[in-house]
Amino acid sequence: MASFNARITMPAEAKAGEIVEIRVLVRHPMDRGGQVDSEGRVVPRKILNRLTVTYAGEPVFRYDMHTGVSANPFVSFTTRAVETGDLLFEWREDGGATFTRTARLVVT
Amino acid sequence: MSSPISPTCARPEPALSRREIMVVGAAGLALAGLPASTQAATPPALAELIARVTEGAVPERARITFDIPQLVENGNSVDVAIQVESPMTEADHVRWIHVIAEKNPFPDVARFHLGPRSGRADIRATLRLATSQKVVAIASLSSGSYVMADADIVVTLSACIDGG
Repeated sequence: MASFNARITMPAEAKAGEIVEIRVLVRHPMDRGGQVDSEGRVVPRKILNRLTVTYAGEPVFRYDMHTGVSANPFVSFTTRAVETGDLLFEWREDGGATFTRTARLVVT
Repeated sequence: MSSPISPTCARPEPALSRREIMVVGAAGLALAGLPASTQAATPPALAELIARVTEGAVPERARITFDIPQLVENGNSVDVAIQVESPMTEADHVRWIHVIAEKNPFPDVARFHLGPRSGRADIRATLRLATSQKVVAIASLSSGSYVMADADIVVTLSACIDGG
């Protein structure tokens, strides 16, 4: 995929100890394989199979996706604000491609 | 898990297409051994699917809220919300939440790994449902036990059609 479009929605700052909700929406067809396109070719399976999230280097969330996850997958989860740092989002696609995004959380 | 989607959802059979069988039949070859390989494998029973995830333990039906619409118009994108009552401390937290859709071609739909850093066990996601079925959410707790909740869903537009 030439461009990887991810929208991460979360507060920019939070109080220490506060639980913040993080919402992640990605544009991806999540081709589950076996479908036939308009020209009669079989589309091979190509999905994002994993999203891992680390917060200031510590893993806080992981989403294992299989073919039963919708196209343009959305997920929301929570994490406790502990220190100012970057949240690193890393997606892994079938075939080995990875995509990363970061978002900063300032803890007051 | 790189297994391809099962033949129940795939239109062209990877092993033997209907056309190939016809050709073979027309050629007068014995068909006796062939039909079995073209039939879709029947999905294992739901209990078996659950037992595989929980390593044999029977999950308790408690402390988990599974919010999913009972009537789904479009199985291509179904909003689900799962909450587990847990203090989410180092000593007592949810390790992961697993979602099973027994009649999907690939019944293991998704797994969410959480931990004490999550603060709450509260996730939302969008899933695909191939057909009307029972959907199960299982949570693995740090104590080693499991809790589950299920829901019967009616799907009017299946996710298992082309163009979806």
